[in-house]
Amino acid sequence: MAVIHVPRPPASAWNPNRKASSLLRTQVEHMHLAEKRLPQRYRTDIYVNAIRTEGEAAEYIGQVTAAILRAHQDAAKKRARAAARPGQLLQIAAEAEDTKGSKARKAAARGKSSIARGKGSAARAKGKARKNK
Amino acid sequence: MANGIPPGLSGLEHIVVLMMENRSFDHMLGSLGLENSNIDGINNAAAGNPDTTGAAVPPQPLAEFQGQLDPDPDHHFPAVDLQIFGGNTAPDRAANMQGFVKSYFNQQQDVAHSHKIMYYFPKASLPVLTTLATEFALFQRWFASIPGPTICNRAFAHYGTSFGRVDMNPIYINEPFQSIYSRLINASPKHTAKLYYYDVPSSTMEVANLLQNQPELFGTFQQFLSDCAKGQLPDYSFIEPNFTDHDTDAGEEVANDQHPDHNVQAGELFIAQIYMAIRSNAALWASTALLIVYDEHGGIYDHVVPPACPKDQFTATANDTGTGMEFHFDRLGVRVPAVLVSPWIPPGTIVGNRTFDHASIPATVTKFYLGDYSPRSPRETSADVFLEPKSAPVDPSRNLLSLAAMRADCPEFDV
Repeated sequence: MAVIHVPRPPASAWNPNRKASSLLRTQVEHMHLAEKRLPQRYRTDIYVNAIRTEGEAAEYIGQVTAAILRAHQDAAKKRARAAARPGQLLQIAAEAEDTKGSKARKAAARGKSSIARGKGSAARAKGKARKNK
Repeated sequence: MANGIPPGLSGLEHIVVLMMENRSFDHMLGSLGLENSNIDGINNAAAGNPDTTGAAVPPQPLAEFQGQLDPDPDHHFPAVDLQIFGGNTAPDRAANMQGFVKSYFNQQQDVAHSHKIMYYFPKASLPVLTTLATEFALFQRWFASIPGPTICNRAFAHYGTSFGRVDMNPIYINEPFQSIYSRLINASPKHTAKLYYYDVPSSTMEVANLLQNQPELFGTFQQFLSDCAKGQLPDYSFIEPNFTDHDTDAGEEVANDQHPDHNVQAGELFIAQIYMAIRSNAALWASTALLIVYDEHGGIYDHVVPPACPKDQFTATANDTGTGMEFHFDRLGVRVPAVLVSPWIPPGTIVGNRTFDHASIPATVTKFYLGDYSPRSPRETSADVFLEPKSAPVDPSRNLLSLAAMRADCPEFDV
């Protein structure tokens, strides 16, 4: 079958100054409701009641859609950071545990237990307290 | 045939739905009936409509791409009631499709202008839609879900119901039935779904989902083209056209939704681009079914009386309908163009005796990917499906992807 030619619309088809249809006005209203649910920092300063044309409607709809996207991206980043935190704590704890175990092993190799070093610990604490005076 | 499943169905992996705006069946595809009497088109619409002087106004092949249906024909619930019932408000009234010219006259009080609501496109004017309709499967009884406007009709495509709305109010998500997207992405095993809007300034009419599920559910048309090229299309895709003429860094974007008074040729090009994006990837082409459908008739004439249907569980009050009568969602809206495309469909398929509406979209996608699923609205559970599930036995009288071998003669467009 031969390739079928698809006629292109004429340049005059594009008219962003066309009055916005009831469908577009509805979309603007819905976007405005959505915008009001966004945190203040994401909101546009566009006065929706002044929107008259398709171009103006598209400008507003685009800004709110981009803001919603940004808000979701920021929320996702925040979630990712929060999710990473417990893992980090566990890792720190595990490293601390590992360090403690390593010191205990070294101490055992020297024939001393960490508990037997209580005196030294107390002395260190005393010194710290002094430092704080 | 593998395990009794025809190859087109067993290999089907992707369902794509493109929903255009506001054109009736007779307006866009009615001309096909003049060439093929098996198609219920303009050939059966000779009686036309009376105008406000009482003169008969027949359908005429005078539709223009732009500049003709201005103002936008009224298609809110009271106007569509007038279009379908011709102004009869008696309790025992019968639908007669005699009120289209009267309804359009109400907007400008101009008799000559009101006749334009009867105009239709000759076949040659719409090479993309008419080619696809004649080369693949044409549904000649696909109706809008509600005799009303865009938002509530589109809700049926997303949720299988409009939750009792017959107007343009937003659909809130904390309603009893999940959208088809939520059903798919929350399923186990998980399925993939995307709603592709044209671009950010055009955005989506599905604002409720935009708020909740961004960015997982949403993509742009450019991403759709890229996903097609890379073979990364999700299981289910719903495409929204460009709803506005607007400027971008890349240049001027012409609205391609075909909503009056937007340019119809821009919509033809858009349909062809989507078809060719799928067609150009051999693996995707073999495993995808594309449905092209219009959300509602946009106030434009069609001659087929919308049938009654099972009630939904919601009721729109007399105040909501604006007609002084309650509406129980027990009648479909006006007939719209609907075409199913796949290389496994025999050319010239006409789906003539089965009735569909937009609730058929989530009904089909749910049944195909998830099987039995609840809860769903009464309207969705009673809606017919346009693709059979991949489970034997497949009823050959219902399966549209019926060919034993994939076609090699499918059309191509110069996009």
